[in-house]
Amino acid sequence: MFDQILQFVLTGITVGATYALVALGFAIIFNASDVVNFSQGEFVMIGAMSTIAFSAGEGLPLWLAAVGAVLLAICVGMMLQRFAIAPARGASVVTTIIITIGASIFLRGVALLLWGKDIFGMPHFSGEQPIQIGEATLLPQNLWVMGGAAVLVLGVHYFFNYTTNGKAILACSCNRTAAHLVGINVSMMMLIAYGLSALLGSLAGILVAPITFTSYDAGVMLGLKGFSAAILGGMGNPMGAVAGGLLLGLIESLAAGLISSGYKDAIGFIILLLVLFLRPSGIFGKASTERV
Amino acid sequence: MALLKVGGLSKSFGGVTAISDLDFEVPEGQVYSVIGPNGAGKTTLFNMLSGIYTPDEGSIRFRDREIVGRLPHKVAELGVSRTFQNLQMFFNMSVLDNVKVGCHLRTKSRLWNSALRLPGTRREEKQAELWAREALHFCGLDKYLQLDADALPYGVLKRLEIARALAASPKLLLMDEPAAGLNDTETKEMRKLIRRISDAGITVLLVEHNMGLVMEVSDRILVIDYGSRLAEGSPTEIQNNPRVIEAYLGGEIEYAV
Amino acid sequence: MSYLRGFYLLTAAALLLPLVFPDNYYVTVVGVTAALHAILAVSLNLLMGYAGQISLGHAGFFGIGAYASAILTTRYGWNPWPAILAGLVLTGIIAFALARPILRLKGHYLAMATLGLGIIINIVLVQTGELTGGPDGLGGIPTLSLFGWNVNSDLRWYIVIVCVMLLVVWLALNIINSRSGRALRALHGSEVAAEMMGINTTATKTGVFVLAALIASLAGSLFAYQQSFVSPDSFSFFFSIELVTMVVLGGMASTYGAIMGAVILTFLPELLVVFEEYEVMIFGAILMLMMIFLPQGLFVGIQSLLRRVGRNRSELAGPDTGEPEESGRGAA
Repeated sequence: MFDQILQFVLTGITVGATYALVALGFAIIFNASDVVNFSQGEFVMIGAMSTIAFSAGEGLPLWLAAVGAVLLAICVGMMLQRFAIAPARGASVVTTIIITIGASIFLRGVALLLWGKDIFGMPHFSGEQPIQIGEATLLPQNLWVMGGAAVLVLGVHYFFNYTTNGKAILACSCNRTAAHLVGINVSMMMLIAYGLSALLGSLAGILVAPITFTSYDAGVMLGLKGFSAAILGGMGNPMGAVAGGLLLGLIESLAAGLISSGYKDAIGFIILLLVLFLRPSGIFGKASTERV
Repeated sequence: MALLKVGGLSKSFGGVTAISDLDFEVPEGQVYSVIGPNGAGKTTLFNMLSGIYTPDEGSIRFRDREIVGRLPHKVAELGVSRTFQNLQMFFNMSVLDNVKVGCHLRTKSRLWNSALRLPGTRREEKQAELWAREALHFCGLDKYLQLDADALPYGVLKRLEIARALAASPKLLLMDEPAAGLNDTETKEMRKLIRRISDAGITVLLVEHNMGLVMEVSDRILVIDYGSRLAEGSPTEIQNNPRVIEAYLGGEIEYAV
Repeated sequence: MSYLRGFYLLTAAALLLPLVFPDNYYVTVVGVTAALHAILAVSLNLLMGYAGQISLGHAGFFGIGAYASAILTTRYGWNPWPAILAGLVLTGIIAFALARPILRLKGHYLAMATLGLGIIINIVLVQTGELTGGPDGLGGIPTLSLFGWNVNSDLRWYIVIVCVMLLVVWLALNIINSRSGRALRALHGSEVAAEMMGINTTATKTGVFVLAALIASLAGSLFAYQQSFVSPDSFSFFFSIELVTMVVLGGMASTYGAIMGAVILTFLPELLVVFEEYEVMIFGAILMLMMIFLPQGLFVGIQSLLRRVGRNRSELAGPDTGEPEESGRGAA
């Protein structure tokens, strides 16, 4: 029983690490621009699908293909900001949500056009020899996902706390006008935020693709889970989003193993609802009060 | 006779005291002002009087009924209405509809009656429109009737909030800084409006920073500082109260009108 | 009353269409779907556009109505009419029970919670296979009959569903222009001011949430009888999002806007079929462009455009006495 649970926990952390990266991307864009980006999952898809296209299709080595895919995703993220989000400034929250949904459908449409409806696999980064931990096993790729996510999360943490650009983005999210007044190039910061978010999403996609396979519509579910994780942690708190992602991954994995795999998503959402009922601003979110 | 009786009222936020052990009575039919420096707890007091905050201790009795523990809409039912320091307009509605919302408590149609457009609801609708037009007229807003609320200038919105509150036909009107941000002409109009509200038999509880306005319209004034009562009395008494002069105005009082 | 003028126009247009084009695929087949979508969009708009409470789970209630009717008629041999009623009761109970905790949430948290609710309902439909037929769905649902008049042709279904749509639109317009409707809009504008005007905001939110869910449930039952087959795919979160898109695309807080959004989003894919593999991409692009350039929605956008043109003209001709057909306006 214990070994079984250990296995579920390991799987859960792997899945959760992916969710965490997507959720972190969500939180970064939300913090920078107050936009809930429903096309976040498409970055994941772009990362995985174009890596496969570049390596299998064009014959590039996997690492180079991955670099190309990440750069492509960053471009898409910045274009999304520049051509879809920026022109709609001042629109209501729901309107921007619909714009990002439109963007997500558009990107999926492009992927469908380029790669069709087939499901693609990606070679594991360093073999498929399972690692034994007690009675539980772990693939090297799981370590890649966990390690990669950890490095990225620390990197984002460093970026926002110790670099000028990172702090500038935080300043924009607190008060756009004031940030502009102290000489911060706000539109540049927005581009960086979207680019960073796309980088996280696409890397998550590349890291996890060898385990889960991928297809043109793989981004939908992951985007949804990323949003759930960001809300669970408390929107507006990047590290909360990471914790939310890990937690959601663990809950799903344990629910699938111990209760029913068919209901694992439902259990994830039920717990999310219960958390929100008890803490309407997420686990790590600050309750906001309206001044009258 | 006191319309509103506040006794032993205290409220703190995370250890910071906003109001401590405050007592006062508002006599019926008067304009009663609460003044004090910024952060003295005036808006907190208003939020407790209208049921938005629950006090930590003390009681608020309005016409011998307890307000503490009632939700804002239940407080409104007792006959208390208010305006807000930061405008709380319904910007998604027309001027007329904004004020019609004020008639909510004077009308009764339920969702299903309205949905089926039963005859009673149509009659009531006409009545509400009449009341709303009356309130708008009272505040001198006739010409803005058909406009959308978000198309109005700030000074007009201030009066629109009052019209909306008056449409509820309240016994007590809480006004939170009605003259804030108004220019001299608008402030003069506001002063006249407050007078007229009082003349119409509505008791007014006023929080305001413009001392000229306060001294001019008030029957009684309560001065609070750090959430406690500093002084209470008629405008003349307050103007001559050395404690008020010292604590509140740092020595010199200038009554700009 | 002036707000019903547009309604009479809509009624005339909806009833004339099949007379002019009696056997047209786009009228009696796509048109029925559009009318069904319009019912859903109008109900969602009450909740979202007017009361300002976003819901990304509306398809869930649509699904409960559809499956209640499907299961009771096929597995238990109920007459379709009481099955509709049972669906409404079930939906009402679920919506009422969940309304309070869910509507305490605001903004993105509310969006997430309703999204989750919709997905949970969908998963339950998939997983309770012995009852619902699981992912394969449930077929052989009988059709409705009205005093011996069987609703068994496309044209008859058009008549039934369009009439229900008109009824729902009429109810919605009446509500919006009443005391209750003002209460909805007021709580959208400022919850604290609405409370201060004596509006019980919790009860009002609960009321409109339940009402919107009931209308969706009714639409679901009709959908089940019309299709004679239901599967969970029709009630996925994609469809919830499509419904939200209809409302926003047409223009929040405008009943006619919601209808317009429903009609456009129903017909657009039909028309884009000619682009074959480019269809999805073009659909996404159109959606994005429309929202970027008309953030207030098509109906509201076009309306204000016309008003501006009208004002320019009336400045030459005399004072403008025109008044908007609906008192509800697009919310910022």
